[in-house]
Parts: sequence; C-alpha cells; structure tokens
Amino acid sequence: MARMKFLVDAERCIECNGCVTACKNENEVPWGVNRRRVVTINDGVIGAEKSISVACMHCSDAPCMAVCPVDCFYRTDDGVVLHDKDLCIGCGYCFYACPFGAPQFPQAGAFGLRGKMDKCTFCAGGPEADRSDAEFKKYGRNRLAEGKLPACAEMCSTKALLGGDGDVIADIYRERVVRRGKGSEVWGWGTAYGPGKAGAAAGGKS
Amino acid sequence: MPRLSHIAGWLLASLLLAIAGGVQAQSAVQQQQQQQGIDQPGNNAPVWREVRKEAQEHYTTVKGRETGVLVQSAGETWRQIRNGPVTFYGGWLVVLAVLVIAAIYFAMGPVKLHDKPTGRIIERFTLAERWAHWVMGISFVVLGITGLIILFGKFVLLPVIGYTLFSWLTALSKNLHNFVAPLFAVSLLIFILMYAKDNLMKSYDFSWFAKAPGFFASKHIPSGRFNGGEKVWFWGGVVVLSLALVGSGAVLLFPNFDQVRSTMQQASVIHMITGLLVIAAAIGHIYMGTIGVDGAYQAMRDGVVDETWAKEHHEYWYDEVKSGAKRAAGGAVPAGAPHMKEKQ
Repeated sequence: MARMKFLVDAERCIECNGCVTACKNENEVPWGVNRRRVVTINDGVIGAEKSISVACMHCSDAPCMAVCPVDCFYRTDDGVVLHDKDLCIGCGYCFYACPFGAPQFPQAGAFGLRGKMDKCTFCAGGPEADRSDAEFKKYGRNRLAEGKLPACAEMCSTKALLGGDGDVIADIYRERVVRRGKGSEVWGWGTAYGPGKAGAAAGGKS
Repeated sequence: MPRLSHIAGWLLASLLLAIAGGVQAQSAVQQQQQQQGIDQPGNNAPVWREVRKEAQEHYTTVKGRETGVLVQSAGETWRQIRNGPVTFYGGWLVVLAVLVIAAIYFAMGPVKLHDKPTGRIIERFTLAERWAHWVMGISFVVLGITGLIILFGKFVLLPVIGYTLFSWLTALSKNLHNFVAPLFAVSLLIFILMYAKDNLMKSYDFSWFAKAPGFFASKHIPSGRFNGGEKVWFWGGVVVLSLALVGSGAVLLFPNFDQVRSTMQQASVIHMITGLLVIAAAIGHIYMGTIGVDGAYQAMRDGVVDETWAKEHHEYWYDEVKSGAKRAAGGAVPAGAPHMKEKQ
C-alpha cells in the first residue's frame, strides 16, 4: 500500500497560490477556512526569498489524533489522516497541538463556539460512502477514490508541491536535488514523518 | 506659520529616523541571515533556522491568526504534557482521593456527636451565604464532571458506550462546561468576599493542625467558625486554585480575542492541573459535608446547627455566639444568650 505524503520544494515554489485556489474550488471549503496556505520567508529579499505551501501533512504520529478527546481521527490504509465531523465537538485541541496549523474552525466565537473542525483531507473525503453527497458537503471531493491525486499538487504549475506515494515523490525530489546540486531540505518531513525516515533526503531539518 | 511647519517637519523627520533605527537594530541578525542566503545560494541553513524559530510569523496572503507561522513546536510540548503527566498523575490523583475517602469512611465511619442534641439551634449560615455556597458548589460539580469526561472519557467511557453516544455526551459536556463556567466565576468571587473574614487564620488554628489526625476519630478539637482544615480549603482550594482555574479558563473560553496558540496551550495546562487538584480536594470536602460529618450537610442546607454540634465542632465560635460577643449573622441568637430568640 502506498503511504501518501506531501512534499514542498522550496526551490521551486513561486508563491502563485494556485494550490490554495485549487483546494478551495475543488473542495468547496467553508468560509474563513483555508486548508492550504502559502507562507513566504524573507518576503521581497532577492535571493533569500523562499515560499512553502502548508497544509495537513498527514503525520505518522499525528498530534491531532493523540489529543482528540472524542477520538474522531482515523488513518486510512494510504496513511491519510482523516476525521469524522459527526463526532467532532469543536474543542480546538487539535488546533493547539498541530505543528502546521492545519486544523481550522469556521468560527472563533465566545464560549468556545468554534463549529466543526475542518482540515485538508488529502482529497480523500471522510468516513461517509466514497463520492457521496454527504461526504462532499462535509469534507469536499474524494479524488483518491476517483483514482486521482490531491488537487493542489496536481494543479501546481512548477511542480513544487508533490502529493502522492512517499517513496515515489521522494525519488522525484532526490533526482531534482542531484541535478541542481542544492536545496535538499524537505520541509516538514522531519516533523510530520519522524527523523531519518526512508525517502527523506539529507538534512530534513524542519 | 512657516516656522511652525518647519519645526513640525524636523520633528517628523527625526521621529522617522528613530523608528527606522529601531527596526534596523531589530532585524540586523535577520538581515545578516538573508545576506548569507544571497552569498551562499546553495546553503539553506539560515532559511531553515528562520523557519524553526518558534512562532515566527512570515508573509502569507491568507489572513488570520498565526497563518504566517510555518511550524509551531510548542504544540508537541503541550501534547506531551497533557497526554503524559497530566492525564496519568491527574487521573490517579482523582482515583486516589476517592480511595482515601472510602478508606476513611469504612475504617472510621462518619464523625458523630458525643452528647445528645439539645434541640436548641444556632444560625450558622445566612440565606445569602448558603446561596453563594450552593451556586458555586453545584456549578463546580457540573464543571468538574464535564471536565473529567472531556479529559478521561476517551479511556473510561468511550470503550463502554461507543463513539456516537460518547461524542454526544462530550459535546454536551463541552457546552455545559463553557456556559456554566461564568456562573461559577461570579459565584466564586461573591463567595470569597462573603467568607474571607471568618477564614482569616487565628493562633488556635495552628494547634488545630497539630491535632488534625484525630478529627476523623471524632476527637474534640476546638476551633472558630471555621476550623484549620476548612481555612486551608478556603485559601488554597477556593481562593488560589479556583481563581487560577477561572483565569486560565477565561483565556480558553474566549478564542474570539485572537490569543495565539502558545497562550492557550499554557492556559490549558494551568487549567487542567489546577482543576484536577481542586477536584481531588473537593472530593474530600463533599465527603465531609455530606456523609462524613453528621450535621454538616444540614448546616449548609438549612443554615442552622444544634448547640451540641456547634460546641463539639466549633467551640470558640459557639462561645462567641453564646456570650453574645458575636451575633450570629441574620440576627439569630442561641438560647441562653443575652438576647433570647429561639428558632423552632
């Protein structure tokens, strides 16, 4: 079975926000929620600027899953971390714990009224029947069930954002690093998938 | 007014210079790192150092609280503290409190009166004092139980009642917890103001502590209106811990004020630790206020106690009331006191 992962190539990302738009459009994400966002380091400094697209990384040891008081998270056979909005109580603990700021809530109201948590599903829907209306309304498109990869990665114009089987995308990335001779750091992999995992290129610092 | 505008211009210019100087000093290190990135394009280390800086905000078009933060490691720390020692020791602390109380109850039984009740009653708590106590007490019990469900239900209830039912119960718990909390906060403040004076430590309280182990063996230990144990519970449990509980809870209750995650993580840890300590102590208090001490529950329910009870539990207070030196609140005066006025 494949182990689905996201990989962001900071050497290639041009901060076009195509992934953000693709995600919002494909999944009809609730207002106020951005399942994916592009963050730019050293913005405007020529030569030092780097952009990174961030969403749920579908961690191996997912902190959201560990702290959820109602245990509404589950992991699919593909290693995708999903959650059940029918069980979610909107406590916000996953949002405290997540290193990437992935879990978001449609509201941030007084008395802890946050609504149901929403996050990136790796375009894999939720616990409802695959490609059902109920699944689409709550979680967005189930592209994995259609044999496709996440919309964000598929739409990426520079292929900075790769989504798919961890071994395959790590091979693609490794080849790039060898060709260009720099930028071997795979952002977020150390945090999401643990240190020294197969496929992570040398220096996976963050 | 050419002179005035001239001066204003100078002031503005010098102000701008000062601001620019401050910003320059602040970002000197950052600029150095950026320069390094330009000089050594193959070396991304400075960039990743910048990324790993806790709660470092970068640029993003997505507007919102902390959207510019790439990685926040504090979340993992919070998880380790919450899922580790807080859940483990906190859970066993509550279990231990129940076990200790059960052991005391079965080994020694409730504290009973030695003499027969006289039938003459003294007012111990006014109506206002009782209301303050019960509003705070009942809201505390609701908060305590719902809080325990949110923290431990996953391990205790979920395997028994299943996902759907447990999710409903926890959603109900969360909303009860959030909406009862303000009631607890207000009644807590009123309670503290009402009860603080009679809970001030007196010299005889220290000799009470020395004899405290004899309390459960129904030994007679003289005390004022409140005994040493009650005073420790008041200052430690009600004033210090509960105020910390309310303060940290308020931070978590209003996520609409745009507080950052680290603030809420810290508040959450304080909230859980103080909450569990107060719950453990409250188990002891509830035991002694109900089945642990004969007559204690009636005192807080009806506001009156028998003279024998007053004499055996709070002798100095009894003496004060009896001598008329201290009129019982509400104007009630015990039998035999200078101003005769008996309650039926």
